[in-house]
Amino acid sequence: MNHRLPRRSVPMFAMVLCAAILIGWAYTARGEGGEPRYFAVKGARIVPVSGAVIENGTVVVAKGLIQAVGTNVAIPAEAWVIDGAGLTVYPGLIDAGTNIGLAQDDDGKKPARGPGASGPEDRPGTTPWRVAADELKTDDKRIESWRNAGFTTVLTVPEGGIFPGQATVIDLGGERAGDYVVRPRASVPVSFKPVGGFFGFPDSLMGTIAYVRQVLDDTAWYTQAEPIYQTNPTKTERVPYDRTEFVLNRALQSNEIVLLPANNTIQIMRGIRLADEWKVRAVLYGGQQGYEVAAALAASKIPVLVNLKWPERAKDGDPEAEQNLRELRFRDRAPGTPAALAKAGVKFGLYSGGLEGPKDIFKNLKRATDAGLTPDAALRAMTLDSADILGLGDRLGSIAPGKIANLVVADGDIFNEKTKVKHVFVDGRWFQIHEEAAPEKPGEKKPDDDDGARSRQAKGGEGVGR
Amino acid sequence: MKRALFCAAVLFFTICMPVATQAQNPGTIFIQNATLLTVTHGNIEHGSILIRDGKIAAVGADLKAPEGAAIIDATGQFVMPGIIDCHSHIAVDGSVNEGGPAVSSMANIADVLNPDDIDIYRDLAGGVTTANILHGSANPIGGQTVVIKLRWGKPASDLPFQGALPGIKFALGENPKRSNFPALPGAQPRYPGTRLGVEEVIRQAFIEAREYKKQWDDYNQRKAAGEQNLIPPRRNVQLDPLVGVMEGKRYVHAHCYRADEILMLIRVANEFGFKVRTFQHVLEGYRIADEIAASGAGGSTFSDWWAYKMEAFDAIPYNAALMTERGVIVSVNSDDAQEARQLNQEAAKSMKNGGLSANDALKLITLNPAIQLGIDARAGSIDVGKDADLAIYNRDPLSVYAVVQKTLIDGQVYFDRQKDIAARATLAAEKQTLLDKEKKAAEAKKAEEKSEKKPETKPDKKKKPPQDDGESVQSGVAGGAR
Amino acid sequence: MKILTFSSRASALILAASLAFPAWTQTAATTSYAIKRGRVFTLAGPPIENGTVLIRDGKIAAVGAGIAIPSDAQVIDATGLEVYPGMFDPVTQIGLNEVSAVSATVDVSELGDYNPELIAATAVNPASAHIPITRANGITEVIAAPGTSGFDLQSGGLIDGQASAFNLAGWTMDEMQINRSVAMVINWPSIQTRTFDFATFSIKEKPYADVKKDYDKSVNALGDWMDRARHYAQAKEKGSPALYERDLKLEALVPVVEGKLPVLVVADEARDIRNAVDFCTKQNLRMILGSGAEAWKVKDLLRDKKIPVVLGPTNRLPEQEDTPYDKPYTEPSELFAAGIPIAFASFGTAFSRRLPQYAGTAVAYGLPHDEALKAVMLNAAQMFGLADQLGTLEPGKLANVIVTNGDPLELQTQVRYLFIKGQLTSTDNKHRDLYEQYRKRPQPAR
Repeated sequence: MNHRLPRRSVPMFAMVLCAAILIGWAYTARGEGGEPRYFAVKGARIVPVSGAVIENGTVVVAKGLIQAVGTNVAIPAEAWVIDGAGLTVYPGLIDAGTNIGLAQDDDGKKPARGPGASGPEDRPGTTPWRVAADELKTDDKRIESWRNAGFTTVLTVPEGGIFPGQATVIDLGGERAGDYVVRPRASVPVSFKPVGGFFGFPDSLMGTIAYVRQVLDDTAWYTQAEPIYQTNPTKTERVPYDRTEFVLNRALQSNEIVLLPANNTIQIMRGIRLADEWKVRAVLYGGQQGYEVAAALAASKIPVLVNLKWPERAKDGDPEAEQNLRELRFRDRAPGTPAALAKAGVKFGLYSGGLEGPKDIFKNLKRATDAGLTPDAALRAMTLDSADILGLGDRLGSIAPGKIANLVVADGDIFNEKTKVKHVFVDGRWFQIHEEAAPEKPGEKKPDDDDGARSRQAKGGEGVGR
Repeated sequence: MKRALFCAAVLFFTICMPVATQAQNPGTIFIQNATLLTVTHGNIEHGSILIRDGKIAAVGADLKAPEGAAIIDATGQFVMPGIIDCHSHIAVDGSVNEGGPAVSSMANIADVLNPDDIDIYRDLAGGVTTANILHGSANPIGGQTVVIKLRWGKPASDLPFQGALPGIKFALGENPKRSNFPALPGAQPRYPGTRLGVEEVIRQAFIEAREYKKQWDDYNQRKAAGEQNLIPPRRNVQLDPLVGVMEGKRYVHAHCYRADEILMLIRVANEFGFKVRTFQHVLEGYRIADEIAASGAGGSTFSDWWAYKMEAFDAIPYNAALMTERGVIVSVNSDDAQEARQLNQEAAKSMKNGGLSANDALKLITLNPAIQLGIDARAGSIDVGKDADLAIYNRDPLSVYAVVQKTLIDGQVYFDRQKDIAARATLAAEKQTLLDKEKKAAEAKKAEEKSEKKPETKPDKKKKPPQDDGESVQSGVAGGAR
Repeated sequence: MKILTFSSRASALILAASLAFPAWTQTAATTSYAIKRGRVFTLAGPPIENGTVLIRDGKIAAVGAGIAIPSDAQVIDATGLEVYPGMFDPVTQIGLNEVSAVSATVDVSELGDYNPELIAATAVNPASAHIPITRANGITEVIAAPGTSGFDLQSGGLIDGQASAFNLAGWTMDEMQINRSVAMVINWPSIQTRTFDFATFSIKEKPYADVKKDYDKSVNALGDWMDRARHYAQAKEKGSPALYERDLKLEALVPVVEGKLPVLVVADEARDIRNAVDFCTKQNLRMILGSGAEAWKVKDLLRDKKIPVVLGPTNRLPEQEDTPYDKPYTEPSELFAAGIPIAFASFGTAFSRRLPQYAGTAVAYGLPHDEALKAVMLNAAQMFGLADQLGTLEPGKLANVIVTNGDPLELQTQVRYLFIKGQLTSTDNKHRDLYEQYRKRPQPAR
């Protein structure tokens, strides 16, 4: 190890920090282990979500997990200590519905125009074996921009078809794609959009629902028939191989959650009914008219992932087009859904649903908090409750010993638009977030940041641990 | 904050239900002093109807309103049983046709009922209280169907007519053989392309259904006998309803035009041991009215539509009267949200076209469709014990000048013309408020975007905004407002 | 009620003729009739009790109470009956469309967007089954308008041709024709962001900006046509024939730009109507609005510009979700109250016989009964420049007369006698024939 320390007359702290940065760079350049595995954020305000707020507390991160949190915790000697004065530590935020990391066709998903399916046996739009974890591209720029805003975890969902594949929970950091994956087969998303064009099967909503029903029946049959065959191969007719049945059987047997589409009231009520009929562990996604049926949702105990992309008037639509009252009411009241769900005791998470970036996510979240969602409930929905819904509440979503070290350290209330995120920990990897430089005005010189690090004209920051 | 929320909730609920009157449902209602068109036992001048708990409790000219009853003064007005539309496609979410396969019996209208379809309200305002919601006519064997009451404002689960048997739609003739559709470039034509094939598709499907039923019967038998390690047959969502047809548990409503194809279906039904419940459209029914009557099927037809297709070229407006003369139970239907608003007018035409009496004309849209749908114990006439499904008109409903004043279902007023008119200003004001609010927000957003100096960090790949009807977790679920 | 004082041979002849030759079922015997003892609604004054209408040589000769009946007149006893001018359906495709789904029988809309030179009368089939069926319900004359659509047809290009007015009886179009060209039909382009794409059979959503561009292009093109027609007219008038090429399309538009031939502009949405009125004002065209589902939204404009409206079927659904449920029913009375001339039309073929029903529904929701009668018998004649020939029972007018057993707008009313061009015309038609035929079918063997 050959390090050259900068010879400058600067404050001691800055020198140490620069050294740390260079050391970190060196490690990064070699791309091998040796990164710091122990951190402590000291003297910060800590919002665990699973417990009361801790003023002037310390979080200790060790080897990817939270080792300790509290006011009087022991800090390991090896730990890199970050001064938390004036800062607040939150659990890393969870975006419960994205396609981050997945390749997108330019024109959205268009199924190949072949001869349409003539019936359910042709398995139209059905590729449940596609797992997002297997297709992850870590050069997706959104990984960084989400992370810089405080998101550490997302559910990334394949698209295209009625059973597009299986969604994966990923943490937004790592070296290889596999490092990112928290749970490769986290859920089976379902879409009711007919894929048959005009003359293929299915070309209607009811046909698509009937198709899903048939697929689940076929899977149930396979679940029953396959073991019988395997234990009596000489006495029973061989059970044919159907990849869909095979894969879904495994998925449903491991109690994977099934994501059912349900945005407006009719769809939500239908989703509740179908979840009951099909006896799957269902989560509804969309949920934007939940404000009307919060009580029914609560009674059903089915969790909801609420799409933060609130309905809006079409931007390139006819300015003179008549807006009907039904839609006006929906657009007006949809942001009130999270508050209504919270009030009724419905467990819900939030997702970006196609919003361009975290700025819009927080803007839209503000509309929900303006409409009555308490900041605590908002945070909870974006952390622990989402983790619970995704079946990972035992290891994500709050600041508690043993949980994965996904943390956001900010200089204020995370949902305040003026707040700046300073540090993000993903699986215990430290990312230091730097401000974007404002474009230089002619004749004006930009002063150095207080801590001596140069401002960078970068998209987001670079941090240790890359 | 709580108080504001409470006020908001109250405001919300009072405005939320569109123009429907609030469900007061005081339990006892007394409609008084009207001309009652009972349909089953004559007209009663200056008659009254007592309704208790949604049912007709008493009917007569000498009734007195009990204490505490809600009075509907219908002096000078006419009360008839709520109209039953035996062929309707309202209240469906998405396409009414699963047109892909030739047999789409797996599709079920009951899965996709849309209680927010404004046409429910409009048909209610036309006196309709019950409708037979059918799958379209794109397939020889189409999807499963459901009878609903037009309970505007209630959720989808509250629409189906409790106790009515489920149905299934068949279609014969030009539509299922797609003779009037342009050929799509590159698309494979779907069998059947002729009436020959239409018959074959139906027979083949029932042969398969018979086989399927046998497999399950065998399996159940062997299982009951204690056999172990039996792999059950697959459940087939497409064939299940056909088994139901053969077991008499599901009604067949067959769209048909030409006389020969009607006879064909009677023959096929006999072969598989079931009866067609209604022939729909049945525009050439007049040619074989006796055969239809003998088969026990009802005929549900148009008043005077014709010449839009070749198979409709010999349709005559006397169809309903002629079939009635020969003993067929005939109803006149709409197949169209607008036509359903004027079924009283359409029924009246059979007085002119074929000389039906006024009461027989009324039956075409009340008792007869009730019989056809197997709900005549509950609806279709003003009789004690039946559901209080009623339409109140300002004059004889068989006159072109009649206007519906109120429509009741289960004794509850679901449409009130005066209240509808009175509510318009309030709704318009609410709409204007919301429009203004949106406009202000849009202007504020524009101003805000202008004042921002830094552009938002944009991801490199330009993501195309998703199509409006795209649906996935990422692109959001289509299905805007209620 | 006395039956016709006719020999039964003549009636058999009529029956046979009506089965084989739909439009030709007129008696050849007399040209002089006296309809007497009926309640006569002339629409040119109060009803005449116990009145008489004299018909001679195709025209109305006299109307009144107690007038002398000529000795050669065939007398029709209308005791207990009512006498009216025949009804007029001013927008149909009768004769141009037999079976909508069978393109071989449809001649409503030619290929291409601009066909002003085409005239409906060229292709009207006098043997169409729709003719006797429609007149049996009291409609005696119609206008066939190219490019217009009924519920079962798609509408055509922008200018599909000239509409023709004709009687619903005659051996050939020459006999039937009232006026070969009564209006130029323009289908006003609409700004639709949601369209059904037949190529992929799906709903396509286009950005407003794109659709607006296409719309502006169409409107500008329409304006260009009018300008070129003006120049053509000028060249024709002032220049020598050698200096310009004969252009049938421009020639056809000359009467339009000169204000001699009205344009029937078919439009429903308020914005389209406004834009159409704007266009016609700038271009100095005589506009008649056709269909007009949202005319009520712009009624002040229509009234101020004195634009009459030929309303599409009263019995239709409201245009928008929030539009009051009864708006299409109340619109006729609203427009009438605003001082706008209205007429009813079926815009169809098979539903032309529903014309009185459309008028009756309008009465149910507020239109005065007298006005409704005018709107199906007289007003269209005035709008299309035929009021000198049609629309009232007055001497000198065409004897298109119906004798009914009651209010012609009521659903049970039957037409007892039908006169077209002063000839007693049978109300037999294909439907009645099939009815009679199958009524007589013996019970099948068991």
